[in-house]
Amino acid sequence: MRNLKKLVLGELHRLINYKILPISLVTAIIWIIIFLFLSEEEARNIAPLLIFVDVSMMSIILIGASHHFEKQEGTIKSMMMMPVSMGDILLAKVLSSMVLGLESAIVTSAALYFIHGVTFNYMVLLIFIIIAGVAHAAIAFILALNSKDFTSSLGLLMAYILPFQLPSMLFTFGIIEKEYEWLLMFSPSHAASSLITFAVSSDYDALKVLIGCLYLVFLSIVLFRYFVYSKFKSNAVRG
Amino acid sequence: MSNAFQVKDLRFKYKSSKEDTIKGVSFDVMEGEIFGLLGPSGAGKSTTQKILIKLLEDYSGEISYFGKDLKSIGKSFYEEVGVGFEMPVHFSKMTAMENMKFFSGFYKQTANVQELMEQVGLWEHRNVKVGDYSKGMKVRLNFVRAMLNNPKVLFLDEVTNGLDPKNARILKDIISDYRNRGGTVFLTTHLMNDVEQLCDRIAFCVNGKLYEISTPRDLKLKYGKREVKIEYKEEGATLDRIFPLEGIGLNEEFQNILRTKEIETIHSGETSMEDIFIKVTGGVL
Repeated sequence: MRNLKKLVLGELHRLINYKILPISLVTAIIWIIIFLFLSEEEARNIAPLLIFVDVSMMSIILIGASHHFEKQEGTIKSMMMMPVSMGDILLAKVLSSMVLGLESAIVTSAALYFIHGVTFNYMVLLIFIIIAGVAHAAIAFILALNSKDFTSSLGLLMAYILPFQLPSMLFTFGIIEKEYEWLLMFSPSHAASSLITFAVSSDYDALKVLIGCLYLVFLSIVLFRYFVYSKFKSNAVRG
Repeated sequence: MSNAFQVKDLRFKYKSSKEDTIKGVSFDVMEGEIFGLLGPSGAGKSTTQKILIKLLEDYSGEISYFGKDLKSIGKSFYEEVGVGFEMPVHFSKMTAMENMKFFSGFYKQTANVQELMEQVGLWEHRNVKVGDYSKGMKVRLNFVRAMLNNPKVLFLDEVTNGLDPKNARILKDIISDYRNRGGTVFLTTHLMNDVEQLCDRIAFCVNGKLYEISTPRDLKLKYGKREVKIEYKEEGATLDRIFPLEGIGLNEEFQNILRTKEIETIHSGETSMEDIFIKVTGGVL
């Protein structure tokens, strides 16, 4: 636990050092400004999307970028020469990747409250962000571990977005009928987006919440256990 | 003196490769010695080191570390082992000191970072970002990183590669001093100078196999030419003669040259380690 804390602090220190966290904060401030010009209903509709983008896409990009950068620098190999478990190293990276999502959720929630007086169950949102964040961190590692550099990692991200993200967007715009939403729940992105939307709108569909949570938790366990954990070390050694 | 490592019939194959990279090698690394693995690129030196530092695990054969099966030892192994990689292994946007503080925070026992950095001439550059370091400075910082936990066994991969002669000398002196204080060193290199100046014992590694594990001195005695070359002046010209080392003190002709000629140089005909390597392995470094 002591080592995990140090690893997480190290990751956060680098997020600040590499200017990722400050830039993310500036972006969040831009959201606040946009909220000033939106009605309460518009703000409530757009807020889940902003949080979702930081929890999923930004997290995938952050993990991909830091993985390839650290591999190039050889620091992953150096970290493996420390008396810490690989599980701790991976967990620290997952936790730090969720900082962007949490930061976005805090800023968005604060903006909704102070500008429009909108409140919702923040604890539920936190739980959903953690579930969605871990699942997307697992996806991020799969993409990073199967690409040779950051550019090819972005290529794989596009390949992920097409079947998993695009239908969800088409559904949002009403192009895909509501009766097919059950199929879309197989998309980790749609499941995550639905959970965050439920939390912010305080309009829950209990069955979908249950299925979304169970699916994302199950997916996270399978991906980390059978794909990420086994490949992370050999990938670092090769670098 | 006990064995730090005992390796028996070690074999390893990368998933992507058709044949074994390491083909049944056996050797011991004794506690308190500098053991050198000498060979060209792609010979299997780094793979052997990666197996010994537990980065690669799907090997066959037996490896024991101070009598314990290497596979049975957990993360505590890294409390006792220091690894100096050939390539830089630091966060480039952080200063050298920030890097050292981060890495040292995970060990129960840590070395005096200031002392180490002063020894390698980096202390005054401790607050410079590693990305702004020269190649030689990064190599020296790698060495400091390897020594951070006061290791019992030190692994060094091409430790002086990219260093100027002065800094290479400094590092070699620190390594010798470490050995003299009881430390064990496993060195992989293709540089003859490192081997001759540092190693107590060496093994030649070519194509995943080991040839001749011995001391540099014994190798030279075994494969050396054992002759004396003498250069002298005669009638304004420089001449040279070569005599067999055996019975040199009784060799009348040699004695006569010494007594009557103006001697310019006398050299024993020691074969270079490179020549011995080629002779033993048939390979080229």
